[in-house]
Parts: sequence; structure tokens; C-alpha cells
Amino acid sequence: MTDLHAFDELLRAHDGDAGCDAGVPIMEEYVEMELRGQDPSTRFPGTTIHLRVCPGCRADHDGVLEAARRFGDVAPE
Amino acid sequence: MSREPTSQSTRALSGVPRDPTSRRWVAQLHARHPRHDQAVAKLHDMLRRAALHELHRRRGQLPGLAGPELEDVAEQCANDAVINIIKKVDDFRGLSRFTTWAYKFAIFEVSAKVARHSWRHQPPGTEALTLERLPDALAARPGDQVERREQLETLTRAVADDLTPRQREVFVAVALNDVPIDVLALELQSNRNAIYKNLFDARRRLRASLAAAGYPIAEQEGR
Repeated sequence: MTDLHAFDELLRAHDGDAGCDAGVPIMEEYVEMELRGQDPSTRFPGTTIHLRVCPGCRADHDGVLEAARRFGDVAPE
Repeated sequence: MSREPTSQSTRALSGVPRDPTSRRWVAQLHARHPRHDQAVAKLHDMLRRAALHELHRRRGQLPGLAGPELEDVAEQCANDAVINIIKKVDDFRGLSRFTTWAYKFAIFEVSAKVARHSWRHQPPGTEALTLERLPDALAARPGDQVERREQLETLTRAVADDLTPRQREVFVAVALNDVPIDVLALELQSNRNAIYKNLFDARRRLRASLAAAGYPIAEQEGR
């Protein structure tokens, strides 16, 4: 057995990665699908791949999801 | 890199917000609404709490900040997020609940401020970033030592010879020395997406170099 996992981890660059900018305008839709128990990878496969690889975008996504779960849907009144 | 279906492409399908709470937020955040000030105050309070929670979640990247200082930063994040939301409230088309859309603004503000704080307090001096971290990055794994050494030598050569200067700089900083992408983006006066693209291209090129040298690395599924 060689270090294929280690090399793969270090050189992760998956086909279909949508990149950082693609996730910004759809972040709330992506999170909302998760909150509804739906699989966002069906609609946003490139962002799903990207979130596995990019720690910055993953942190932002996790933050939005956590905020929506923890603080919920507050009314303006 | 691929493209995603964008909010722009789905706007025509969605129209105005569907849920009543989101519709009330949008209506009340318009300047002439009689409840405008109360709605802005409620939004600010909601986002300040979300920002403070997020700052605590990221406190590992905020050495030296605690208590009242974190609350000050949360306040700044909420201020900036509210300004942006009011500016863009007519862009909200109900593709999520209003609050989920609003939390995004607060989290992005936190992300930007955390990166700036890290960069100011611990800028990634290029002299400290070294290719010698390559064996570390691949250490503590079982494997055939001779083949592993050959792979490492091939990879080290490829980093030195096959990458552009910018790709090498980004790969060494982010992949080998754990510099956060956003911090490096500030250091290089760039942005997250551009740095990520550099890193993606560098990784692709290094994979190709390893494959050409007889060490193809198949992508692992589900990672």
C-alpha cells in the first residue's frame, strides 16, 4: 500500500468543483434545502464538491446553517 | 471548474417571497414603512447574536480576542450586515426564508473580519513558508518507504519546476503551511476565489506531473 490517500488529500482537485464565487449567491438556497432535509447536491453538485475541499467556504456554509438552526426564523415584530 | 444554477436563473420562477414572515421583513425594511425602525432594530439584534455565536465558533483564529472585544466585533458585523441587507432588500426573491438570507450577510462579515484580524496579527511572512513541510504533510502514514520517497522527490521537483510562481506560492502557503485562504488573499491583495483557483490549478498540474512520472493518483470518492 502506498500513500495514495495522503497524496490525494494534499492534491485534492475534483472534477465539477464550482469554486468559491458560485456558492455565494446560492448559499441560502443550499442551506434551506438542508434545513428541509433535502439533498442540495442534486441541485448544486458543484458546490457540494467545493464545500468538501475549500475550508473557507465550508466555514461560511457551516456558519449560515448553524445560525439558521440555532436562531431560527425570527419575525420582524 | 463547473457552474451552478444561479439565483438569477431562478428568479423568474420565484417572484416575491412565499412565506408571510419573509414578506413582512421585506415590507418593513423599506424606509417608508411605519415599522421600519423597529424592524431594523430587530434585524440588528438577530444578526448580532448570530455573529457573536459565529465568532465564538471561530475563536481559534482570533487569538487575544475575548469577552467585550468579541462583542464589539459582533456589533460591527451586525452593523455592516444590516446596511448591506437594507441596500439589497429588493434583491431578495424568496428562494429561502428571509432570515436564512440575512444570516448569510452576518456570517460573511464575520468571515471577512476574522481573516483581517488573523492577517494583522499573524501575517503569513513568505520567508516562513517552506516546501520542507511536504514530507510533514504526508507523514505518519503507512506505505512503502522507497516508493514513497520517490513520489515525494517527484512531487518536490514538480512543485519547484512545473508550477507558475503564483501557483507555487499559493500551494506552499495553503496546502503545506496551513495558511487560511482568506488570510493569503489579503496578503496577496487578491480574493478567495482567485486564490482557490490558483490552488486548484496547482493541484491539477501536480497530479499530472506525478502521473507522467508513473505515479497516477486516482481521486478518492466521497471525500
